[in-house]
Amino acid sequence: MSFDSATVAAFVDGELDDLTARRIERDAESNPELAAEIARHRALKQQLAAHYAPVAGEPVPERLRALLVPPVAAVDTSIGTRREARRTPFAAIHWGAIAASLILGLALGLRPWIPAASIAEADGTIIAAGPLAKALDTQLASNQPSDAAVRIGLSFRDSAGRYCRSFESESLNGIGCNDSGRWHLERMTGGQPDADYRQASSGELAAAAAAMMAGDPFDAAAERQARDKGWRRR
Amino acid sequence: MRFEEELVELLPRLRRFARGLARHAADADDLCQAAIERGLKSRDQWQQGTRLDSWMYRITRNLWIDERRAAGRRGVHAPIDEAATQVAGDGAAEVEAGALRGDVDSAMARLPDEQREVVMLVLVEGYAYREAADILEVPVGTVTSRLARGRETLMHLLGEAA
Repeated sequence: MSFDSATVAAFVDGELDDLTARRIERDAESNPELAAEIARHRALKQQLAAHYAPVAGEPVPERLRALLVPPVAAVDTSIGTRREARRTPFAAIHWGAIAASLILGLALGLRPWIPAASIAEADGTIIAAGPLAKALDTQLASNQPSDAAVRIGLSFRDSAGRYCRSFESESLNGIGCNDSGRWHLERMTGGQPDADYRQASSGELAAAAAAMMAGDPFDAAAERQARDKGWRRR
Repeated sequence: MRFEEELVELLPRLRRFARGLARHAADADDLCQAAIERGLKSRDQWQQGTRLDSWMYRITRNLWIDERRAAGRRGVHAPIDEAATQVAGDGAAEVEAGALRGDVDSAMARLPDEQREVVMLVLVEGYAYREAADILEVPVGTVTSRLARGRETLMHLLGEAA
């Protein structure tokens, strides 16, 4: 039995049905001409693959990567930083301050003559309320007033696909993640009215955010787009 | 996974494909850049659940063809029997010498575009005939016949030099 060149090529490319492939294999055992033809095709394929393989192994030039992964100057989200942030138990350091803020906020929430509280409790978790919820819902980091009561930091998606945003205010700093329209407060520390402390706290918050995020923090356009979609998971 | 992330993962392979088409590294990366920009711009046309790689390969290849047509180089679409014996334009002698040294780049440069792209997709990128046909938007029979001619030329140029 003889096979034409197209069939030999298809055999080498793995495009033949099993029956024909077995026939050609068997035939090649006793047909040196066919065996040589198969070897010739295989050699070409290997030569081409070997020639182009190094290109795929090269590091991708930054100008190409940058089109897809916008560099964020202010925040170091490198793997190293994320690991570092994971090693540091963020919560352990600040539980005292958090507890104080919580008690204060919850207590304030019960008194209607005091300005609306910024946190509330729902189904056993702490969620943003009042002006904080409003800021998380609507405020864009890219165009917030410098004297805003709540300052939005980074917006990003976490590994569960939720939209999360870090924020700072006079009484409370933290990260809220949107779940079914509510901002669950994942990380919280007491706010820092003093500018120097605030800066230190910002760094910690950014590191905590970096540890949580899947992918990169949003740029202005992505932030706006997410807000316009109501921070809902796709 | 986000569109951008998936595309980032695809980049090494896309660069390889572009290198095969455009030959020179800088041209290939320019082609990649144009393809990424086009991909981002028309991402709404990509249907979630379909293969992003095939879609991006098609974009890359179409941009390359557009560019080649715009450049209007002669001899590119010459039939294979002519292309195998004559190379149009400058550097023909170099290409010839390179091919005789078993230089894959030079041998590939001698293939007409429509054969080179099939060779890249099937022999280098490992696509099935059917998948390559989808990317190129041609019948499977066209893929196999172009592949056969490209292969013969390459084996002739590279095989004899080995």
